[in-house]
Amino acid sequence: MDKYKYVIIGGGAAGVAAAEAIRQVDQNGSLTIVSDEEHALYSRVMLSKPNFFLGKIPFDQVYLKGDDWYRENRINFLGGQTASGLDGVNKVISLATGQKLPYEKLLIATGVRARTLNVPGADKSGVHCLRTLEDGKKIMADLKTGKTAIIVGGGFISFEMADLLKLAGLETTIILREAYFWEPILDEASGLMIENTLIKNGVKIIKKTELAKITGGESIDGVILKNGTVISGDLLICGIGVISSADWVKQSGLATNEGILANEYLETNFPDVWTAGDVAEYKDLLLEENVQMGNWVNAREQGRIAGLNMVGGEKHPFKFISFYTTQGLGLTIAFVGDVAPGQDRLIIPRGSPTLNSYGRLIIVGRELIGATLINRTVEMTTIAKLIENNVDVSTHQTELGDPSFDLKKLII
Amino acid sequence: MANQKEYVRNRADSKIGKIVVDRDLCIGAASCIAVSGETYNLDNENKAVVLDPNAADDATLLMSAQSCPTKAILLFDKSGKQIFPK
Repeated sequence: MDKYKYVIIGGGAAGVAAAEAIRQVDQNGSLTIVSDEEHALYSRVMLSKPNFFLGKIPFDQVYLKGDDWYRENRINFLGGQTASGLDGVNKVISLATGQKLPYEKLLIATGVRARTLNVPGADKSGVHCLRTLEDGKKIMADLKTGKTAIIVGGGFISFEMADLLKLAGLETTIILREAYFWEPILDEASGLMIENTLIKNGVKIIKKTELAKITGGESIDGVILKNGTVISGDLLICGIGVISSADWVKQSGLATNEGILANEYLETNFPDVWTAGDVAEYKDLLLEENVQMGNWVNAREQGRIAGLNMVGGEKHPFKFISFYTTQGLGLTIAFVGDVAPGQDRLIIPRGSPTLNSYGRLIIVGRELIGATLINRTVEMTTIAKLIENNVDVSTHQTELGDPSFDLKKLII
Repeated sequence: MANQKEYVRNRADSKIGKIVVDRDLCIGAASCIAVSGETYNLDNENKAVVLDPNAADDATLLMSAQSCPTKAILLFDKSGKQIFPK
């Protein structure tokens, strides 16, 4: 049984960023990455982008690391392997194959998986989630022959897929359980801006209803909604959220909530065990609460910090304002910091849907904690800075609500 | 490639002579900004632009390019040879 100095469970953005950070400091400590996917690191965020999907970018552009990178950095890559258990006392990981992997220092960066539909017919071919490269390949194949598509959910997967399905020439219907798009992260006015853009581009939207069943033979031919409506569809894409891939550690005594709990150094309650990326539910120093963030930038940054902390020496806190953007159909949408709704939040509108430029600045107490921006992406980094610097904005509410006021003036 | 924007860098202590952002590839993920907010910002089209090509040292610039999920940032040395992506 080989003992590795560093074991990283998860070969995505966080796991690889951790390996990069470790190798910057410790070139020779033995390092293994276990990934339940066969592939070298690829770009998960590219999977939903029209340019990639429609073949405008060569397929291989999706790969961010080649096999040579793992070799040159002396990283033992165990692809297509699933971790099934953790023994935090004896410091051993079990793989589903039965293999044992003793570690000195462990990073758990297993991410999240797509939530799937729980209705009859959900196992038919043509019913997709979008999380992995394999999912992407299957949707790409179905796009070539499909004429009609159904999307379930009202978030970024739904928005980006609707854009590319229309570009691919498919008749597209979105089905929402909620009253408006991206509820409750966005307010109704922002949600309607997105809906109106989708509708203008020929997407149908049906709200406040759910699927009763998926119809067809081996392959999907449509859906029946709970209100009885029948919609035909050659393929269905589901974007209804994610579930943390943390079930496998629950028996071990590792502290978990929705995700794996960690302090500001991304340390778990077990010695020499860190967590990073989408699965980490960490103490956010800037937002002063426990949060779980699912985006590329956050995963990279957390991986990097966890990697540095695994090497040892001075401990680095994870202190970072997360952001996420998307674009399509002429809209840009950006989220900064903490955008989760809460009763203690004061929302200051900035711009308006009629101006086609609408932001919401989210304040708790005297400080900004987050913002949602539609067609105002250019302000994203300034807002991140205001959050990071704990700027007291309580006396500047009029300026914050003035869309022509330059927010940079408030940075101290 | 039509939709590439070039930014000349002239720091004496640098091996990097040029930063190029491929605007067709860029999706506005903003990971470059996370690595070096002094160097990059997003414009109104949600694409990365270089604010100051001389702001960061070479290691930081390389890290910013490596962090990009679409390999939209290309780095060239002073003789014009592409350094990243390799």
